[in-house]
Amino acid sequence: MVLDMDPLFLAWSYFRRRKFQTCSELCSEILEKSPYDQAAWSLKTRALTEIVYVDEVDVDQEGIAEMMLDDHAIAQVARPGTSLKLPGTSQGGGPSPAVRPVTHAGRPITGFVRPSTQSGRPGTMEQAIKTPRTAHTARPVSSASGRYVRLGTASMLTSPDGPFINLSRLNLAKYAQKPNLSKALFEYIFHHENDVKNALELAALSTEHAQFKDWWWKVQLGKCYYRLGLLREAEKQFKSALKQQDMVDTFLFLTKVYIRLDQPLAALNLLKQGLDVFPREVTLLTGIARIYEEMNNITSATEYYKEVLKQDNTHVEAIACIGSNHFYTDQPEIALRFYRRLLQMGVYNCQLYNNLGLCCFYAQQYDMTLSSFERALSLAANDEEVADVWYNLGHVAIGIGDSNLAYQCFKLALANNNDHAEAYNNLAVLELRKGRIEQVRFFSGYLYGILCMFRLN
Amino acid sequence: MLVPVFTLKLNHRINPRMVTVGKYDGVHPCLTAATQAGKVFIHNPHSRGVRLSSHRLNPSSQDTDVSLLNINQAVSCLTAGVLNPQHNYDSLIVGTQTNLLAYDVHNNADIFYREVSDGANAVVLGKLGDISTPLAIIGGNCALQGFNYEGNDIFWTVTGDNVRSLVLCDFNGDGKNELLVGSEDFDIRVFKEDEILAEMTETETVTALCHMHGSRFGYALANGTVGVYDRTARYWRIKSKNHAVSIHAFDLNSDGVCELITGWSNGKIDARSDRTGEVIFKDNFASSVAGIVEGDYRMDGQSQLICTSVEGEVRGYLPASKEMRGNLLDASVEQDLLRELSQKKQNLLLELKNYDENAKVGTGSLSETDGQTGIIPANTQLQTALSVCLGSETQSPNVELSISTCNDTIIRAVLIFAEGIFEGESHVVHPSVQNLSGCIRVPIIPPKDIPVDLHIKAFIGGKNSTQFHVFELTRQLPRFSMYALCTDKSLSVPKSKVTFLINERVQRVIMWLNQNFLLTEDIGSPDVSFTSLRGGGMLCIKMKPNGEITINTDDMDLAGDLIQSLASFLGIDELQVEADFPVYFEEIRRILIKVDEYHSVHQKLTAQMADHSNLIRNMLVQAEDARLMADMKVMKKRYSELYDLNKDLINGYRIRANNHTELLNCLRAVNQAIQRAGRLRVGKPKNQVITACRDAIKNNNANALFKIMRAGTASSSL
Repeated sequence: MVLDMDPLFLAWSYFRRRKFQTCSELCSEILEKSPYDQAAWSLKTRALTEIVYVDEVDVDQEGIAEMMLDDHAIAQVARPGTSLKLPGTSQGGGPSPAVRPVTHAGRPITGFVRPSTQSGRPGTMEQAIKTPRTAHTARPVSSASGRYVRLGTASMLTSPDGPFINLSRLNLAKYAQKPNLSKALFEYIFHHENDVKNALELAALSTEHAQFKDWWWKVQLGKCYYRLGLLREAEKQFKSALKQQDMVDTFLFLTKVYIRLDQPLAALNLLKQGLDVFPREVTLLTGIARIYEEMNNITSATEYYKEVLKQDNTHVEAIACIGSNHFYTDQPEIALRFYRRLLQMGVYNCQLYNNLGLCCFYAQQYDMTLSSFERALSLAANDEEVADVWYNLGHVAIGIGDSNLAYQCFKLALANNNDHAEAYNNLAVLELRKGRIEQVRFFSGYLYGILCMFRLN
Repeated sequence: MLVPVFTLKLNHRINPRMVTVGKYDGVHPCLTAATQAGKVFIHNPHSRGVRLSSHRLNPSSQDTDVSLLNINQAVSCLTAGVLNPQHNYDSLIVGTQTNLLAYDVHNNADIFYREVSDGANAVVLGKLGDISTPLAIIGGNCALQGFNYEGNDIFWTVTGDNVRSLVLCDFNGDGKNELLVGSEDFDIRVFKEDEILAEMTETETVTALCHMHGSRFGYALANGTVGVYDRTARYWRIKSKNHAVSIHAFDLNSDGVCELITGWSNGKIDARSDRTGEVIFKDNFASSVAGIVEGDYRMDGQSQLICTSVEGEVRGYLPASKEMRGNLLDASVEQDLLRELSQKKQNLLLELKNYDENAKVGTGSLSETDGQTGIIPANTQLQTALSVCLGSETQSPNVELSISTCNDTIIRAVLIFAEGIFEGESHVVHPSVQNLSGCIRVPIIPPKDIPVDLHIKAFIGGKNSTQFHVFELTRQLPRFSMYALCTDKSLSVPKSKVTFLINERVQRVIMWLNQNFLLTEDIGSPDVSFTSLRGGGMLCIKMKPNGEITINTDDMDLAGDLIQSLASFLGIDELQVEADFPVYFEEIRRILIKVDEYHSVHQKLTAQMADHSNLIRNMLVQAEDARLMADMKVMKKRYSELYDLNKDLINGYRIRANNHTELLNCLRAVNQAIQRAGRLRVGKPKNQVITACRDAIKNNNANALFKIMRAGTASSSL
C-alpha cells in the first residue's frame, strides 16, 4: 500500500518546483474539501500570482496617452544635459550622430532592446497614434491598459468557473488585519487581477494596521500610485519606505518615478546614494548606465557598464552595449570579442550574427563575414530582420566594390520590407551612379513618402 | 526725471505677488514669476545663442529667453535663494495650496517635494535665529513651517490666523533674524524662533511686509494702507483707495537710505521716503503691478529696481545718479507744489477774513447777531463719558460714548477717529437740524479686545450759528470694555476655567482690573463677575489671598487675552497655567476624529480619480484612433462614453473639493486650539505647550494633546 503524501505538502513541493498550474489545481481540491483552509488559500493565490508575475521594475512603457496627455516634467525646455526629452545633445564626447546611427527619437542606437529605449515624444497626438503603426513599435495606448491588461485577461481564461477570488465581495478591511494573508492577497490583486484601485485600498488599510511601520506595504502603495500615474504620492511612499529600510528595489522604483518626471540628474543622484548603501550592486550600476546612455553620455555609460561587468561578467546587456559602443567608435576587433562573448553566453539569434558579420567585415576578416550573415538569415524570425540582413549585405557588397551584388541585396531588402527607407536611399544612389535619373526619381519619391510617414525632418 | 533703463514685454501674464529673481546657475539673475495654468516662467536673457536647438524640439516658439516650468497646481507663492549652504547657486521654492516644491532649476532636479496640509500662502527663504542652515519658511492655515534643504521641517509653530505675508529681519538688533508674520486677524507678530517677541495690531489683513534697514520694516494692508514701522512704533502711514500689491525697499535716489517702493493695483508705482512717507518718485503701468524685485539684471555690477505688471511688462530702474540730487520728479510736479501753496494761501486769507469779521461783531452789538456767528461762552467745556450699555430690544449691547457740553451750546457734528472699530476708521455723527442738542451718544462696538485711542473732534456752537468751534480731545477705550459688571450672584459660574499662581499683592491686581475694564466706580475686592456684551457669556475673576487666581469663562481666547494683559501689566515673564475647557476640548476631540475620517476618504477619492482619468486617457486615444481611421461610428461611441465619464469625474471632483475644504477647516481649528492653549501661558511654558502639542499631533495622540493643553506640559505621569 502506498502512503499518500499530505496534499498541502505536495502542493508546496509543486510550488517550490515552480509547477504552479499543478499546485493551484491541488490547492483547489483541498479548498473543495475544507473551504476555510487558509494555508491552501494563501498558497493558491501565490501560485496564481507566480504564473503571471513579471518584475515590476523592468516592465514600464509609457503609453501614448501618458506621453501625449500628461505633463509631469517640471521644466518644459530644460537645460541641455539635464533632461531625457532632449536627445541629440551629446555631452560625453561620444561619436556624433553622423557616425553612430540614432533611433527615430534621436537617441543613439543601443546594443540592447529594452522598454523605454524607444521613448522620445512625438509632436502631436495624430503623429503619436500613427507612428506605432508604421514603425513596428507596438506602443500601448496607455501604460495602465497596455501589457498589464493583456496579462490579467490571459489568466482569467484559465479558470472556467469564474475567478478564484471575487474582489467585489471581498472585505478588504478584514484581510488587512491578517498580515500573513494580506501580502499574498495584495500580490494576487495587483499582478493577477490587475485591479490597482482595490490593491491600493488593501495596501492603505494594511499599512494603517501595521501602524505605518512596515516598509513593504509602503513600497506596494508606491507601486500602486505609480501605476495610477500619481507620481508625487508614489515618491512620498517610496521615500518613506527608504527611511525605514534600504532596499535595492525601492531605489529602483524611486528612480523610475524621477525618470517619469524627467529629472535624470535626480535619478542618478539617487542611484549613487543607493550605491553607497549597496556598494557595487549590479542593478543599480545598470540603472546608472542606462540613464547616461539615454542622455547620450556614452562615455560615462560605458564606464558604468564596465563596472557592471566587473561584478557580473555574464551580464548580457552590459556586454552588448559595450560591444556596440566599440563598434561605433571604430574598434570592430574589440567589438567582435564582446559579441563572441555573447555567443558564449548562449545568445543565439539573428541580430547577434548580423552584428558579428558587420564586425568581421570592418575588421577585414572577410571569410567570416558571409558565413555570419548566412547564419543570421537562417535565424531571422521575421521579414524585417531578413530585410535588415540583406541591407547589411548590400553594404558589404558596396564595400568590396560589387555594385551589382549591392543592387540585388538592396532589392531583396525591399522585397522583404517595402518601407525600408535606407535601402531606398542607397538604391537611389546606386542608380545615380549608373546615370539612370528616372529610376533615381522613382526611389527618392518612395523615400520621400516614407519620410513623410515618419515625419522626420 | 528718472526713466527706465530697460523695458521688456514678456507675453506672459504674471500672478500678483509671485515674482522673484534668482541666480540659478550662481551668476546670471533670472526673473521668475508664476503665470496662469499652474506654470512658472523663468526669463533668462543671458544664455541667448548658447542654447542648442535639437532637430526636433524647438524651444518655446517666439521668445527663446523664457522657459516654462509645469507645477500642475495653482501656484500660491514663490521665492528663490540659496537653500543648500554648500551650493553657491539659488534654488527655486514654489508653494501651492497643498504642496511645497524646492527645485534646482540649473540641474532640472527636485531638492524636495513636501505635502503641506496647511497650504502655503506666503514663503520666505533665509536664516532664522540660531538655526544654522537657511530655511524655506512657509505660512499657511494658522501654521508656520520651516524646511531645510533636506526637506525636514526644523521649525514649526502656530499663529492666530491665516498667514498672508512673511519677512525675515533683525527686529531687536541682536544680529540674528526674527520672523515677521502678517496674518488675516490684522496682527503683525514677531517670532524669535518659537517665541513671540511682539505683536502689533493693524486695522486690516496684512498683505505685504518688507524689510527696510535695521529694525525698520514696511507693511501694506488689504484696505490700501501702506506704512513703515520701526520696531513696534509706527513711523508713518498713508491710505489709498487702491490696493498695494507689492512693496519693496530700494535706494532709488542714492542717498544711502532705502525708500519704500510700492506697486499699486491701478498700475501706479511710487517711491516714498522711509522717514516721512513723502513721494519722491512715481511712474505708471498700463495694468496692475504684479511685483517689485531687485537684481543686477544687466550684469554690469549695479543692481536695478525691477517692476513687473500683470500683463508681463517689465521695467528696470537704475538708482538716480548724484547729479540729480534726489530730484526725481519732473518739473511739472514743482508747478503742482506751487499751485498747492497758493491754494493754501487763499484758504488762510479767507480764514483771516472770518476772524476779522468775528472780532468786529464781538465788539459791536452782540444781541442781534448772536445766532449767526460762532461766539460761544468762554467757559464752554466738552465732557465725554464711556459707559457700558446693556442694550435693549432695538439696540444690541454696546459701549456708549456720550459727549456733552456744559452749557446750552449745541454739538453740530462729531467726528471720531479710531483704528479698527469703525469701518473706514472714522465715524461721523451729524444730527439733523431739528434734533440738535448739547449731548450726543455714540454706540461703539469694538470687535476685538484691544485698547483703542478715540480721537474726537466736536463742532460746537450756538443754536443757529453757521460757524462752529472745533474741540479736539482724545479718550482711551480700555481693553476689556465689552464686559459689564454683574452683581447678580445667582447666575451660574462657567465650568471652564484657568488657574494660576502669582507672587503679587492683591492691590496690583485690583489696579489692573480698574484700568482694563470699563467700570462706573472702582472696585475694592478681586472677586468680580462680568457678562460679555458680545455673547452674554459669564466671566468671573477671583483671587485668593495666597495669590491663586481663577478665571472662569467658556471663551478660551478671552482667557488668553486676560492672562497676556495681566502678565504684561504685572511684568511677569513666565507663567504656568492650568486650564480646563471641557466643552471646547470635547469639540476638538470630535474634530480630530473627523480629520482622520477625511484623510481616509481623501485617499479613496484620489485613487478613484486617478483610475478614472486613466480610463479617460484611454478613451481619448481610442477615439482619436477611430477618427484617423475614419470610423465615425466608433468615434462617436467613444466620445459619448468619454462625455459620461467626464461628468462622473466632475461630480467626483466636487465631492473631493468639499472634502478638502472640510479637512482644511478642521486642521485650522486644531491649529487654532494649539495657539489658544499657548496664549494661556506666558514665556517659556508657552513654547513648551506649542511644541508638545505639535508632537502629540504628529504621533496622533489625542489624549496627550488634551493633557498638555490642560496641564501645560507633557508631564511624565502619562
